[in-house]
Amino acid sequence: MSKITLGNESLVGSLTPSNKKSYKLTNKTQEGKIPLYSVAFNFIDARFFTCFVSAGGNGINLYNCLEDGSISSLYAFADEDKEESFNTASWACGVEGNPFVVSGGEKGIIRVIDVNNQKIHKSLVGHGDLVNEIRTQPLKPQLVLSASKDESVRLWNVETGICILIFTGTAGQRYEVVSVDFHPLDEHRFINFGLDTTIKIWSMKEFWTYVEKSFTWKDDPSKFPTKFVELPVFTASVHTDFVDCNRWVGDFILSKSVENEILLWEPILKENFPEEGTSDVLLKYPIPNCNLCFIKFSCDLFLNYLSIGNQEGKIYVWDLKSCPPVLVTVLSHNESNSLIRQTAMSTDGNTILAASEDGTIWRWDAIDKEQAVTVEAKGRRKGKAQLK
Amino acid sequence: MASGASPSSSATRSDPHKHSTTSQAEKRAPASKEVAAVIDSLKKKLAADRCISIKKRIDENKKNVRGITQSTMRSCMERGGGSYKDGSDLLVKRQRDSPGMKSGLNASDADKSNNHSSFLEDGNASSTTMVQGSSVPVKISLRPIKMPDVKRLSPYTTWVFLDRNQRMTEDQSVVGRRRIYYDQTGGEALICSDSEEEAIDEEDEKRAFVEPEDFIIRMTLDQLGLSDSVLEELANFLSRSSSEIKARYEVLMKEKEVSESGDNQAESSLLNKDMDGALDSFDNLFCRRCLVFDCRLHGCSQDLIFPAEKPAPWTTPVDENLTCGANCYKTLLKSNRIPANGTTEDKTGTSSDGAGTKTTSKFSGKLSRKKTKTFPSESASSNEKCTPETSDSENGVQQDTNPEKVSSSSKVKASGRRGGRKRNNNRVAERVSRRTQKRQKKSEASDTDSIATGSRSASDAKHKDNEDATSSSQKHVKSGSSKNSRKNDTPVEDSKNSVKGDDPVSQLNAVASEPCSDGSLRKEEFVGENVCPGGLSEDKSWRPLEKSLFQKGVEIFGMNSCMIARNLLCGLKSCWEVFQYMTCSENKASLFGGDALNPDGSSKFDINGNMTNNQVRRRSRFLRRRGKVRRLKYTWKSAAYHSIRKKSTDKKDQPCRQFNPCNCKTACGKECTCLLNGTCCEKYCGCPKSCKNRFRGCHCAKSQCRSRQCPCFAADRECDPDVCRNCWVIGGDGTLGVPSQRGDNYECRNMKLLLKQQQRVLLGISDVSGWGAFLKNSVSKHEYLGEYTGELISHKEADKRGKIYDRENSSFLFNLNDQFVLDAYRKGDKLKFANHSPEPNCYAKVIMVAGDHRVGIFAKERILAGEELFYDYRYEPDRAPAWARKPEASGSKKDENVTPSVGRPKKVA
Repeated sequence: MSKITLGNESLVGSLTPSNKKSYKLTNKTQEGKIPLYSVAFNFIDARFFTCFVSAGGNGINLYNCLEDGSISSLYAFADEDKEESFNTASWACGVEGNPFVVSGGEKGIIRVIDVNNQKIHKSLVGHGDLVNEIRTQPLKPQLVLSASKDESVRLWNVETGICILIFTGTAGQRYEVVSVDFHPLDEHRFINFGLDTTIKIWSMKEFWTYVEKSFTWKDDPSKFPTKFVELPVFTASVHTDFVDCNRWVGDFILSKSVENEILLWEPILKENFPEEGTSDVLLKYPIPNCNLCFIKFSCDLFLNYLSIGNQEGKIYVWDLKSCPPVLVTVLSHNESNSLIRQTAMSTDGNTILAASEDGTIWRWDAIDKEQAVTVEAKGRRKGKAQLK
Repeated sequence: MASGASPSSSATRSDPHKHSTTSQAEKRAPASKEVAAVIDSLKKKLAADRCISIKKRIDENKKNVRGITQSTMRSCMERGGGSYKDGSDLLVKRQRDSPGMKSGLNASDADKSNNHSSFLEDGNASSTTMVQGSSVPVKISLRPIKMPDVKRLSPYTTWVFLDRNQRMTEDQSVVGRRRIYYDQTGGEALICSDSEEEAIDEEDEKRAFVEPEDFIIRMTLDQLGLSDSVLEELANFLSRSSSEIKARYEVLMKEKEVSESGDNQAESSLLNKDMDGALDSFDNLFCRRCLVFDCRLHGCSQDLIFPAEKPAPWTTPVDENLTCGANCYKTLLKSNRIPANGTTEDKTGTSSDGAGTKTTSKFSGKLSRKKTKTFPSESASSNEKCTPETSDSENGVQQDTNPEKVSSSSKVKASGRRGGRKRNNNRVAERVSRRTQKRQKKSEASDTDSIATGSRSASDAKHKDNEDATSSSQKHVKSGSSKNSRKNDTPVEDSKNSVKGDDPVSQLNAVASEPCSDGSLRKEEFVGENVCPGGLSEDKSWRPLEKSLFQKGVEIFGMNSCMIARNLLCGLKSCWEVFQYMTCSENKASLFGGDALNPDGSSKFDINGNMTNNQVRRRSRFLRRRGKVRRLKYTWKSAAYHSIRKKSTDKKDQPCRQFNPCNCKTACGKECTCLLNGTCCEKYCGCPKSCKNRFRGCHCAKSQCRSRQCPCFAADRECDPDVCRNCWVIGGDGTLGVPSQRGDNYECRNMKLLLKQQQRVLLGISDVSGWGAFLKNSVSKHEYLGEYTGELISHKEADKRGKIYDRENSSFLFNLNDQFVLDAYRKGDKLKFANHSPEPNCYAKVIMVAGDHRVGIFAKERILAGEELFYDYRYEPDRAPAWARKPEASGSKKDENVTPSVGRPKKVA
């Protein structure tokens, strides 16, 4: 971490919840005892905003969140190989708008599931080790980035199954790449984080012709002239410890390391000197009991809220719009006490899903203020407060 | 900083009320209270400013985000409502149907609530159910759709291809870094790092002053005045020393003045720059071993090694009638006698063509880029002349002073002294240097061509040669006024004195330069004559850089003003000016003096005749020895051979030693670093070729250097065309003057790594495990297959990296020598995938190639096309993994393992 110098302090959020918004537990569902690593709402297609995918073990499950608070199962997929253990899943879609689910795990093989046809659309082979995270480019949802333990990030076209670019090399990540995210606006740009504590911003501007080419490629995908990108445009160590999750918020970056906090910071790029970029940490969101690797946060589509689980099964919801940071609420339940790997927020931020280590998916729904009061009162009457 | 501590510590820091500061202040003088108050208020102001700026930026970003998310949303909507009809979309259908598919408690709940359609009640009901304890969560049973199995790839790390070894760069080091490793069985993350390395020496770092600090310093001191107590308080507050703050304040004040007084003056002209500084980047970035800039193997900022023996200035047969252009001194000399003969030939091309040789280009290329002066350093940073030579020349000065003989030399057409031809010259010069650069790729050390640029005039300068006249450059200096140009503060007293004594008034200078080099005995003589009317004023108009360039020119071309002007000073000085300058005695004296004085770039101070005399003596001693050495040259009994033999035979016990060129100026003695280090001297060393510690190469012819008969082969070295007698590659058809084709059978077969004559290796799925390397074409026994390349890392680094590699049961480390280990984990070539076998078909060998150890993989037997390559990793007995352990695996050298890990790392729990 760059040493905090005078006058560059960041504003730290207080852990007293404002209770601006309240959530109540509405459902929970459990597939099995297999730990769930990933849960994600569909942010790609407005028709499917209520759909979400969970991944864990060799199974990928698609659910629908009904308005009444219940969860219905849509599809379940299972890898024939019991060895497989999916780490991540992301929604994507084909050029015709048909929904895809892209998932990857221990085997390093990325599965592209054509949901409508209930079958594998492509199996993307190329990573030399397990895949840690997959993210979809929001504006061009055929493009998918995968971060792998093999120290590389690959850009894929899931429609054609082409590996377009490989981001690796001397200046690349030194150990596992754990997290990756597309820049929301500049489609040429994305960030990645690795276990070597560094964060890198890459640009694929120079290689954009290859990206375009990948859409029209008719030949065998293996014959595509995959390019290596070796130089990031920005490298910095914002954290002193392993960084396992990051998201763009406009031009700022939210990143979480195992230091019990999430930072919002601005990368200050220096043209032509990728190694000399600096960062300015603006806000800090403390998250107690969250110092294990591979706990991921999530935001709603409008980036109003952020939610993250911790080791004790609690979920912290932060308001991203306020400055200094305001903790919206902490969600806890007496039965939810195992580690929550990832949360998912619905597009409007009114539903929070939490995928926990014991294989349970918890669903929390927002309630209006006055309703919250009633609920709370009722809860208290029963002696089991759900909202803290 | 501990991870846990950071939030709290930053919190205190951001706390505007720094209680500790104030309380400490109270204990001190009353003034300090005031100071503390001021600082505190400033601090608050800063914090508030910061807060506002953060808010502003967040707000700006918010707007940004809103735009982005809205556009994302739009695209989502479009996708949904687009061409797809709901009916055809299965997922949509499923969504619609899904309520019926719910099961368990919640399903009934939900159904109920559907009827109620009251959110509150529903929520109530649902949560009640939950709370009241369906400890059995809802189980949704849906028959999963099978995804057909796809075979996983064998693990590998995305690696960077290297065609030659690279030294590890600082930022690639794992030492002092925390590393994580997921244990395959325990399901826990291991942090691999050493606690003692965790401590980061933050205190040592000199922190630059940041703007807020400047602000506080400035404001406080402006308000309260500069006093010790204030400084102390500030220092306390900023945790710096008070002197530091004082210095910073002064800097700030100065900056303020500057900014108030307007623009600072423009950059200093390039030409006024220091030659030292200009050469700096060259010296730092250019690798003299690989002849490339930014060498990845030897790195930047290498020790500069200057060969004790330098190639003599370049001599070419010079046509006296050939002028180099309108301003050629020959022309102008002539014109002094026969005025207005305006024919100026541009024949320069011819002579310059002939001139194309190594040193020339190197220097010209280099020098034309640099601009500077300062002699001591200048001569330090470039190759010196052989010092003895120059000292000889000093002697010569005293002996021959014959002004008359010179004048005859100049019978040249005259022309007006205009710069009309200059452009032309420049072009020619450029072309020449470019061409020569291309042509010459050899190291300076091996370059024995002497380059005489001088117009060799037919004058009869006599000179005395030492011994066999190997070397003596002679100067006839005869110009009176001994202006001691101060920047060349290295005049040789002897010569100066003699000059003075001779004829102080004469304006004729005769110069005879007798270049010499070891390999070639040359007697070239140049006598120039000059009428140097405005010598003094001319001298002054020379800029330091031009002077340095001129000196370089003399080193390269000898006393040839044409060549110097054309190659180094084009656009700056004309040939005539150069000639005039050259013929001024001081310049000459200092010129050679300067050379003599800095034989190795380290002794820059001995400035006079004493020194030169010493060197003369040294030289003669040296020459005698040289004779002896030559006799020994091809005898195998020389000490060097002996030790190498030994090394090669018992290298099993002792790893090879890393070679670092020594900087000895004479034949290497006991203090030679190479000798101490146990290596041979190589062609990159500073020591003369006669050095006993040098590896002499071989002179095999028929054997093709393929057996232990060849001393190079026996010493595990590749032959080097620069060193060996008969080993070279013949390219071309013999028209370029190389010896006629010797026939294939005589060609050296021991240069394959150097020449990269490797086999095509293919990467594929191994028959044994993981990835494997396969051979494309069949090869016979002992054929060279390829090089095992990688990062050169220190043993310490290797131990650190090895910890992780061992855990992953996959290591690409290869012991290279006593200093380095090759690591092919992230960077390497395909041969890193060759697997281990106790009965291998290949073997690896560490070979010394041009001073560097490299690993070659050779065929142990005849290998057919498409066969997988195996070699014995030869783990150290105690280190070998179980599968590689075998009774006779006692080899201490190899240490490599490509067995991929099969285990599945787990996430931290």
